[in-house]
Amino acid sequence: MSIVTLRAGSWLSVPVRPRSVAVAVSMLFGLLVTAVLSLTLGRLGLAPSEVIPALAGAATGRDAIVFDTLRGPRLAVGIAAGAAFGVAGTLFQTVTRNPLGSPDIIGLSAGASAGAAAFGLLWTGILPLPLGALVGAGVAMALVFLGTGRGFSSPSRMLLVGIGVSAMALAFVQFVIARVGREQATVLAAYLNGSLASRSWDHATTIWISLAVLLPCALALSRRLQLTEMGDEQADTLGAQSAAARILAVLVGMGLATAAVSVVGPVAFIALTAPQIARRLSRSPGPNTVLSALTGAALLALADLLVQQLPGDVQLPVGVLTACLGGIYLGYLLISHWKKGTLA
Amino acid sequence: MTSPNPTASTLASPVGAALNPPTGVATAAPADRRRRVFGLGAGLLVTLLVLGGTVLLSLAVGNKHVPLTDVWASLTGSGAGYADAVVNSRIPRTMLGVLAGGSLAVAGAVMQGLTRNPLADPGLFGVNAGAAAALVTAAAFFGLGSAATSVWVALPGAFVAVVIVYLVGAGGGRATPVRLVLAGVVVTAVIGAYIQAVTLSLPAVFDTYRFWVVGSLAGRDPGVILEVLPFVVAGLLLALGLGPSLNALALGDDTARALGAHVARTRLFGAFATTLLCAAATAAVGPIGFVGLAVPHIMRAVVGSDQRWLLVYCLLGGPILLLLADVLGRIIMSPAELMVGIVTAFIGAPILLLAVRRLKSTA
Amino acid sequence: MTLTRTRAARVGDTASLSTPGTPRQPATPPAPPTTRLAAHHLRLGYGRETVVADLSLDIPDAGFTVIVGPNACGKSTLLKSLARTQAPQAGTVLLDGAPIGRMRSRAVSRQLAMLPQSPTAPDAITVRDLVGRGRFPHQTFLRQWSRDDETAVHAALSATNITALADRDMSELSGGQRQRAWIAMVLAQQTELVLLDEPTTFLDIAHQHDVLELCSRLHADGRTLVAVLHDLNQAARYATHLVVMKAGAIVAQGDPSTVLTAELVQEVFGLACVIIDDPETGTPLVVPKATPGSRPARSGFPPSA
Repeated sequence: MSIVTLRAGSWLSVPVRPRSVAVAVSMLFGLLVTAVLSLTLGRLGLAPSEVIPALAGAATGRDAIVFDTLRGPRLAVGIAAGAAFGVAGTLFQTVTRNPLGSPDIIGLSAGASAGAAAFGLLWTGILPLPLGALVGAGVAMALVFLGTGRGFSSPSRMLLVGIGVSAMALAFVQFVIARVGREQATVLAAYLNGSLASRSWDHATTIWISLAVLLPCALALSRRLQLTEMGDEQADTLGAQSAAARILAVLVGMGLATAAVSVVGPVAFIALTAPQIARRLSRSPGPNTVLSALTGAALLALADLLVQQLPGDVQLPVGVLTACLGGIYLGYLLISHWKKGTLA
Repeated sequence: MTSPNPTASTLASPVGAALNPPTGVATAAPADRRRRVFGLGAGLLVTLLVLGGTVLLSLAVGNKHVPLTDVWASLTGSGAGYADAVVNSRIPRTMLGVLAGGSLAVAGAVMQGLTRNPLADPGLFGVNAGAAAALVTAAAFFGLGSAATSVWVALPGAFVAVVIVYLVGAGGGRATPVRLVLAGVVVTAVIGAYIQAVTLSLPAVFDTYRFWVVGSLAGRDPGVILEVLPFVVAGLLLALGLGPSLNALALGDDTARALGAHVARTRLFGAFATTLLCAAATAAVGPIGFVGLAVPHIMRAVVGSDQRWLLVYCLLGGPILLLLADVLGRIIMSPAELMVGIVTAFIGAPILLLAVRRLKSTA
Repeated sequence: MTLTRTRAARVGDTASLSTPGTPRQPATPPAPPTTRLAAHHLRLGYGRETVVADLSLDIPDAGFTVIVGPNACGKSTLLKSLARTQAPQAGTVLLDGAPIGRMRSRAVSRQLAMLPQSPTAPDAITVRDLVGRGRFPHQTFLRQWSRDDETAVHAALSATNITALADRDMSELSGGQRQRAWIAMVLAQQTELVLLDEPTTFLDIAHQHDVLELCSRLHADGRTLVAVLHDLNQAARYATHLVVMKAGAIVAQGDPSTVLTAELVQEVFGLACVIIDDPETGTPLVVPKATPGSRPARSGFPPSA
């Protein structure tokens, strides 16, 4: 028996898989280690003994500057954005019933990038960048919704239309890059890869508030989404109202992904891989919301740590690394599936 | 340009007809078949005329408009003065458009036939990414940046990428369409990360790359045309020869085998032809999306699912779409120009949406 | 209960063949229906296409109703509308006298369960988890797994005889075992009404028998079953109430032994047959007539057709 139920009186009873808990705890531990390392490593790193005082706001002198303006917000943004990507990914993958159905592929990240490019460089001063990204993402999702002709009820159509919308948005971004000056283009290109460099506490506040609001929504939806995995008819007869659940899930996922994109840019593959890793480690079906959030946070924090500590002068955007590693992981995933014969 | 008549007669051959169940031609009465072949042949002629018109348009329209009579005069050798110079300056980009458009559309049709996926795009097998990575590498580490050498760099790059996609796709045994597409996504992503890493570290390379990566017919070296021509011709011949096998393949691997088609060989040749065509086009004009996706779709609505007709129609339809997109790009932001790659994305994506909407219920 | 029994019998007695082209509707009661589940002048279809024009049907309580008919006669569509997964274009489905479309979906799901024709099992799910998903209508966000859920799953597993398989992965099961697991999921829903859309499709003959015996046991336990079946002989053997559909209308309904006649099979399915008594159960058994000359006298198959 692989499930333990937590009970409190008759009003609370939550089934828990010991394996999932174990995975979550190790993931949390990994995240913690990564966090400490990214605060302490390198020339500017805090002394290990200074980490706790810094977190308590008692750091002084150089350490205070490093923590408050450099490493601290960067880490806070990275963790929350990673979690947001992870949850958005698991929502979209469940809605599309396809491991490839992440915001990267469905057109959402590209739409947000296009919005950011448009309002950040082309029509400056109309909207702040995060709102621009939200507008872009909203337009992209609306196009996908209308483009399928059946809303979000046909997963495969969603993927296909998403690819089209993605391509359109990316063409627009490239157009913007080719039109503006080299300096601006470089900045924009770095942003469009996704970067955690020079984030501020404002960024951190934005993303943590979004996460605090939207994560409970995702949790509340996840059981209904779990049922849609069995097909709409079955889910509907169980009272899950699959069509409504899907629209809500897309909206919540859109909110999370856009919030993350607006603070760190469209970091590739976190949303795609985090839910897959979470699912494989926990071996439990359905949207593993909490675990995907933890995995996403750990992945992004770790990738950023690696990027920060890379030898050489060049500071690569973290998105380049996640694209590379995520791509390799995905390739491994596919091949191992094929060897087992469990995929196409 | 392929003349329609010999093609039509070969298509009506009994062997071809026997291998053609998807359109129902094999079961139709001979009179019906003859009428159909005649209709398709006539349609081909019309398409050819439209292409001719588009070429003239491409020579006439732009920042400086030239009346069609002057265009004709220039082409027949009796043009003079400023108009003649303008028209002559537009000849290379028009030729590039014809070459690239035809290559991409035919490559797309082959790709869609091979993967049995009506939404497959030549870029899926990593062709564009491979070519781009090779160009970026050459520019960054060997200082090769000139247009004249680009073909010789881009072609091997594209080939290497496709081979990797194949190896990853066949990693667990058979290389099925789904596996290849997924492998393409993976390889493209990793190569994309490499390109970003290089371009973001080297601003000079980034500066050329950001213009190259939006496909454009303008500002390319005319010498490129001659360099890519052999590859395009070889690729086209190979692709057009695959028509009957692709028809068989459309019925599923097992049925195709039962009909005597060599499935593995068709896949290999098809992938080879696609790579040749795409790599040549990409080397010449940069990555241009959606022509390979949209044109076969539009043409399928005209000719049905017979691959042999489809390939020929795509050969003519590709240039039409690409040149029209180029002309449009010259007009809408005049006096500035919109790169053709952006125009095709904005024309092609809605076509993709329409195609998806027309799909019967997909699981 | 007795009321509905007599009512079902009455419908059975009046079962008759209608003339082709004008299928007769069973008389709709002027008063609210006396059965728990009833369809009232339904028009069903997809988009502009109408599959069922005007259909009324009372599902006898505590009966095993089987709907049969040729392909594309609208029988699955009818079942879907009864289960609320397809909204009718006109007319209503009444559950306990209330229009089902206006009820809260979880409230419906606590009364009525349906197993679709080809449900998809999520990846890497165990039988126990799958069956547990049938408990969704009884759960809340905070009460995600109560002791009632536990007992219901346990009961469903043992009712379908798959307790031993509970911790196996769905993908490891045979077709028949998988279908049992799905039925267990529906049972865990603990509803009195259970709808099954072709539960025997893709199963070999032994497993078909197995599943139908299981259904019949569930019916004997007091549940109201409605199933769409392909096989006339199976329908005749297990149904207590047979509904025969053709082209979106009910052609005949009632007790299988009265309803199933050679003329009916000829008219509805276009198959010439004789009806004999099933040697095991005494229910009607449809035996297609041999076409003269279609079979050579010798037993071997001719080398070339």
